[in-house]
Amino acid sequence: MDSIYGSYEKTLQCIAIRLNDMINDYVNRYLDRTGDRLYEHLSWRIKSPESMADKCRRENLPLTPRSALRDVHDAIGIRIVCLFIDDIYRNINELRRLPGCRVIREKDYISEAKPNGYRSYHLILEVTDDVPDVDGHSPGRYYAEIQLRTIAMDTWAALEHELRYKKNLRHPELISDELRRCAAELAACDVSLQTIRELIRKEDAE
Amino acid sequence: MKILIAEDESDLAEVLSAMLTHAGYTVDAVENGSLAVEHCRNDAFDLIMLDVMMPVMDGITAVQEIRRLGVTTPVLFLTAKSEIEDRITGLDAGADDYLTKPFAMGELLARVRAMTRRHKEYSPRILTLHDVSLNMDKSELTCKNSISLAAKESRLMELFMNHPDVAFPTAELLDRFWHDEDADSEAVWMYISFLRNKLRSVGASLVLLGEQGGSFTLKQGSST
Repeated sequence: MDSIYGSYEKTLQCIAIRLNDMINDYVNRYLDRTGDRLYEHLSWRIKSPESMADKCRRENLPLTPRSALRDVHDAIGIRIVCLFIDDIYRNINELRRLPGCRVIREKDYISEAKPNGYRSYHLILEVTDDVPDVDGHSPGRYYAEIQLRTIAMDTWAALEHELRYKKNLRHPELISDELRRCAAELAACDVSLQTIRELIRKEDAE
Repeated sequence: MKILIAEDESDLAEVLSAMLTHAGYTVDAVENGSLAVEHCRNDAFDLIMLDVMMPVMDGITAVQEIRRLGVTTPVLFLTAKSEIEDRITGLDAGADDYLTKPFAMGELLARVRAMTRRHKEYSPRILTLHDVSLNMDKSELTCKNSISLAAKESRLMELFMNHPDVAFPTAELLDRFWHDEDADSEAVWMYISFLRNKLRSVGASLVLLGEQGGSFTLKQGSST
């Protein structure tokens, strides 16, 4: 079977790389200006055609490039992992100003964590590109999902992701309670480290 | 609810056991202070009743030993003596109340109810103020989401939530929470800063007002 992305797979990769470069541009400018790195690490991926097809099936969408590129918004995924909570919001400010991009949706799971304890900031960027899109618009309109989180949130999400696919856990309730508690403790560390940084910087400024 | 009785007069011990069992309590009865201490080492009680004059180990020594184990269960002294000196010694040794023999069973039961109630009701484990709740058992602060608190943060938050709108000077907080430590107002400021950011991070409408080195007050701010 052909890829659900049709002829667009290469285009998606090019856009992901371009976004990656634009992010690194503002990060480097910020570094020159302040001496702070806005992220600890950055990664991107194109959702595999198989997972995209699964997602379309789950959402009762036809398995077409149009579904994958227009109705679903996370064909391109970029994750920005930061040292401190405040850096997440600094990145968001910069992302809002990216040329040719527009934030069309955002979900703040940091202010309101998911019931399982998941914390992260998600936003969907609409990106314009010279390559005409699946609806024939030129310039074309594409989407990317940006996930921003701290290292602590990222660590938690990695473990939760691993456990999510484990069947036959003997005490699933107990484990999800404890995972939720770990999320609360990691959130506490994030806030404490943030506070310590603020106090140190205030002292330096005096 | 479980009660430990140490009483060497077997008649009285039997009557006490029967009455308390009838009132719905689980009772362990022993005949001297030494056995009472031993029981406290191995078991948890909601109330301890000690006779003062007992063979092997008297009630006053027993309560001192029990407190030394770190047991904070309320202790009621039963004393045949009505001398003020004995009551003072007993209370100072770590007892919470006393009853002079002979006593009316009704009064004893009322005191048992009062003392076990105090332990339960006067230290609620979940405090709630406006949109914020503090779970002391889990050391967790909750509003739109939950965040863990360090032990000292929990106790500070407990004080503030029990006394909203009251201004606590830095010196008083130092004395209450850093009593045995070599700490200064910087430590208080750091913990206030921790709590402020934690309140903000759970989306609480409560704010901790005050300047570094000054007094701090928990108030309801504008909800965000």
